[in-house]
Amino acid sequence: MSRFFTTGSDSESESSASGDETAPKAAGGPYSKPLLLSEDEEDTKRVVRSARDKRYEELTNLIRSIRNAMKIRDVSRCLEEFELLGRAWAKAKGVVDREGVPRFYLRILADLEDYLNELWEDKEGKKKMNKNNAKALSSLRQKLRKYNRDYEGQIAAYRQNPEQSDEDEEKSRRDSEGSGSSSGAEDDAGNFLKRRERDEPRSRYKESESEPESESDEDWGDSASESDSESDEDDGKFTSLASKFLKKDEERRGAERRREEKAKKKLERKSRREEEEEEEEGGEWEKVKGGVPLIKEKPKMFAKGTEITVGLVMKKLNEILQARGKKGTDRAAQIELLQHLVAVAHEHQLGVPLELKIKFNIVASLYDYNPNLAAYMKAELWQRCLGCIEELLELLFAHPEIFVGENVLEESENLSNPEQPFRVRGCVLTLVERMDEEFTKIMQNTDPHSQEYVEHLKDEARVCGIIGRLQRYLQAKGSPEELCRVYLLRVLHTYYKFDYAAARRRQVRPRPQVSPGPQVSPGPQVSPGPQVSPDPQEKEKEDEEKEKQEEEEEEEDSEALMERLCRFVYAKDRTDRIRTCAILCHIYHHALHSRWYRARDLMLMSHLQDNIQHADPPVQILYNRTMVQLGICAFRQGLIKDAHNALLDIQSSGRAKELLGQGLLLRSLQERNAEQEKVEKRRQVPFHMHVNLELLECVYLVAAMLLEIPYMAAHEFDARRRMISKQFHHQLRVGERQPLLGPPESMREHVVAASKAMKTGDWRRCHRFVVNEKMNGKVWDLFPEADQVRAMLVRKIQEESLRTYLFTYSSVYDSISMETLAAMFELDLPTVHGIISKMIINEELMASLDQPTATVMMHRTEPTATQNLALQLAEKLGNLVENNERVLDQRQGAYGGYFRDQKDGGYRKGDGYLRRGGFRQERGNY
Amino acid sequence: MNFSAPFLGLCWKTRLQVVLKIIKHYQEEGQGNEVVQGVLLGLVVDDRLEITNCFPFPQHTEDDADFDEVQYQMEMMRSLRHVNIDHLHVGWYQSTYYGSFVTRALLDSQFSYQHAIEESVVLIYDPIKTAQGSLSLKAYRLTPKLMEVCKEKDFSPEALKKANIAYENMFEEVPIVIKNSYLINVMLWELEKKSAVADRHELLSLASSNHLGKSLQLLMDRVDEMSQDIVKYNTYLRNVSKQQQQKHQYQQRRQQENIQRQSRGEPPLPEEDINKLFKPPQPPPRMESLLIAGQINTYCQNIKEFNAQNLGKLFMAQALQDYNN
Repeated sequence: MSRFFTTGSDSESESSASGDETAPKAAGGPYSKPLLLSEDEEDTKRVVRSARDKRYEELTNLIRSIRNAMKIRDVSRCLEEFELLGRAWAKAKGVVDREGVPRFYLRILADLEDYLNELWEDKEGKKKMNKNNAKALSSLRQKLRKYNRDYEGQIAAYRQNPEQSDEDEEKSRRDSEGSGSSSGAEDDAGNFLKRRERDEPRSRYKESESEPESESDEDWGDSASESDSESDEDDGKFTSLASKFLKKDEERRGAERRREEKAKKKLERKSRREEEEEEEEGGEWEKVKGGVPLIKEKPKMFAKGTEITVGLVMKKLNEILQARGKKGTDRAAQIELLQHLVAVAHEHQLGVPLELKIKFNIVASLYDYNPNLAAYMKAELWQRCLGCIEELLELLFAHPEIFVGENVLEESENLSNPEQPFRVRGCVLTLVERMDEEFTKIMQNTDPHSQEYVEHLKDEARVCGIIGRLQRYLQAKGSPEELCRVYLLRVLHTYYKFDYAAARRRQVRPRPQVSPGPQVSPGPQVSPGPQVSPDPQEKEKEDEEKEKQEEEEEEEDSEALMERLCRFVYAKDRTDRIRTCAILCHIYHHALHSRWYRARDLMLMSHLQDNIQHADPPVQILYNRTMVQLGICAFRQGLIKDAHNALLDIQSSGRAKELLGQGLLLRSLQERNAEQEKVEKRRQVPFHMHVNLELLECVYLVAAMLLEIPYMAAHEFDARRRMISKQFHHQLRVGERQPLLGPPESMREHVVAASKAMKTGDWRRCHRFVVNEKMNGKVWDLFPEADQVRAMLVRKIQEESLRTYLFTYSSVYDSISMETLAAMFELDLPTVHGIISKMIINEELMASLDQPTATVMMHRTEPTATQNLALQLAEKLGNLVENNERVLDQRQGAYGGYFRDQKDGGYRKGDGYLRRGGFRQERGNY
Repeated sequence: MNFSAPFLGLCWKTRLQVVLKIIKHYQEEGQGNEVVQGVLLGLVVDDRLEITNCFPFPQHTEDDADFDEVQYQMEMMRSLRHVNIDHLHVGWYQSTYYGSFVTRALLDSQFSYQHAIEESVVLIYDPIKTAQGSLSLKAYRLTPKLMEVCKEKDFSPEALKKANIAYENMFEEVPIVIKNSYLINVMLWELEKKSAVADRHELLSLASSNHLGKSLQLLMDRVDEMSQDIVKYNTYLRNVSKQQQQKHQYQQRRQQENIQRQSRGEPPLPEEDINKLFKPPQPPPRMESLLIAGQINTYCQNIKEFNAQNLGKLFMAQALQDYNN
């Protein structure tokens, strides 16, 4: 071979770049380029070389892809390529005008026409064709017909005598060339070498390709004729003017020679293939070094009869691994090879350590299969990966004496020596972590509403199982750091799941035991928790628990499990990140199971709120999720204010979706380039872990309503009224802007309607709007303890409506009986008494309680509307004067001392006018 | 029955017909805080301006161009001339909502009227007060001082100061005398005898808080605007003084440098235009605040008037109640 290389590397042949059917281009190695030289470039015309070569190369490439498309009957692809070809042809017009239409172009036109006609005729096939292809076929046929009209004569000539026409053309061209430029003459000897070389790569290439024989044969015919013509032309060009007349003979000779050669090559190739099959590895590896893609099926690794030893297998393994990451390495084949190697190792009983070693590498190369970080594993690969890891763990459990660690050096590995402890390099933990990542990626990239997603989700159990087993393995052998990592993995797979089993158990258990957490009301079967589709997964989990009877710890409540894992992490972790994640997950888990006080205390003790903004985005997303869960938990407990505060940050931005990592907002592209988008996409939380956004918003709005409406009623006349929740006000305004108000449809409309009802103290209507069929379906039923939440809501609505009623209508009453109020709002008397007392103490309500008659006596100290206006006016005038004085100050320096005294003395007091309680005293001063 | 007006020595007489037409126009077309406008026709007699007729401007939407209106006026006047009615354009009228008429728009159009026809006047009709039982019709003209300022189109603080304009002397009110032919007077007398006294009881209505509330609200809005305006002005003043300081510093530095250069025997730095280096900040136009002040003044007058009346009514009612008891 080497003799070809020597000529092959000469500059001119190098410059005519390859255009072969080489799918994997440039298979590495310095020699690959000349090896894969294309056969048909007329690279000798020096004057116009760059332009011409470029154009022709373009054309031939396109032609090639058309031919490929034709072969696979992909007509639409054909059409596309044909259009491109047309364009390229137009570009090459200049060259063509000078030299005439090249033969290969005519040939493709003719072939394409034949092909299309054939397809067109084939009614059966046409029917089977899909729509796109059928459409493409008809349009391509028309186009081609139109197009070919221009070349009618030439095509006809070509059809008559393909070879001849070619030669004629060549000759004419040669003539023109010969006269036009006395191009650099090269000796004939070089020519033949060159020609051979040109054939050579093709054959080499063909051989390595495992195409069906028939196809390659066809190809052969094609390229052979093609190369004939072209090398003819080569010859012609190299020969000087004088030898022009000798040409034909020579040509014929050359052609013959070539054919012979080809035949020889073919034979050679065949024999070589056979040889190779029998060859030892040595022969094989040459191939790798040669840069030819390692695609070939290897029916056998080792020659028969070779004694297979650990050393040999290791050597082989290393060789396979060396190809890893190189361009042109077929990763699938590599995996196959490794699988095979394992089988061999197993068969020959070379010892578990070796198998372990190879398996590590299999998993690693499975991960390597996708070169792109963003791409996700295919289902089949994923299954294989899971299986592999399971086997790996299986082995590890079976042989606890083997020491596996990532710190073990290659040299100090001990795979075979039974006297010393086995040492294998590799880290299961890393593999499992990577597996977890892959799982997340798969989930991110699957449409969450498809059956496929559910299918993928079923693997979650396996993933959990693997993590659980790894955990047990590491508990026996791992360092605290490793344990922390695996615990975190475990925690991350546990924290967002509602523990139905534990909840049910608690229901069964006698009541008094449940002291810290709220009782789960024994009601109808609770529907799924805040996660949207935990159903299959929950079932999975239970199944898994049943399956893994041996895992005693699985049986404990997830609460206890979380507690145990997290405590360990808190104590042992040295990287801040794992601890932070663990804390957040722990809080989330507490919140999910309605252990509000514990969740809150943990949140407050961890001081995460102060420094979370320094964390990396995924942790921040986790933090946001935790806060949201905390808020929802507080809401379920009836702690409206806490719920509102927890949710305020997330909701007020209006970007809850983005902040929770549950989807990207549609923003203009300027704000975020493609790169950023990719990064953000990678951060998304898989769908089964999502917090229901509608539930979140509803909880927030209802909480805001319960806080805001009484507040609004109390501060109706305040000029400087502050909004508690901007978003709620926004919703109210949207509701007001509606020209026609129908019955509420969406969740927001329901809340707005409820707010309006509450404003007038009509708690029944408010209740009807907040809790009804629609809202139950949309929101409330999503809670694990839906009935309890609803009961809490009713009560809150009654109380807040009472407050609102008193604020709004107290000016109408002289006195009001508490019993009436209790009846109106269906609250018991002590509660009403409590609420009113509280309002009086807080100076929200100017009234006193008359104990014997159980009535509220209004004091009527509230300013009337006009008075209120006057007060506001006074305040505004105060501001005005202040501003005016500033102007005066500008003019006269510190001259305005007199006014300032006044201002400080008099107008500052003005702030007090606004406080309801203070009004009376202020009036005394008038 | 002639009043001598303070400045021009003119007096405005109006016919009852005109008043009725204006009222009718408002009843038909104006509601809420929409205003209706129209043209006054009449003639100048000696030192009085007599308004003998009027016609309304058509309701027009935003996209109608202005010249349509002019065309309409011209045609209207021509038509009126055909039926032998006074067709001299002597001003215009406008309805108002709670006395809010001191606006930039009124100022501008009155200025253009007065600029073209010296005698022209604007009649302000307050339908709300009228509905309460007392016809409220007022005639205003721009004072000559304000006319000067408007002609200059310079509303900077300095110009206004120089022109000595304050909110009190922007507009002058001109007395109005409603005069009718004797026949009409006779008929009115007759009608009065026929009509029942009860028709006028809205004068005695005690419900006042609504009106007062609205007025207060409007007053408050204006006060707010005023505040904002003052803040703006304040910022301007601050900027000016800051710049003055900078300018001063710059000059001093320049001087020092020059002295140094002189001592070194170098030529002094060339003089540069300081104003170019320090562009004086754009002074905010003060006309707005003047107008707001004027408006506040009108509101205050209105409220004062209204409250005085109401207090009287309340006392009366109290006395009546006492008497009845």
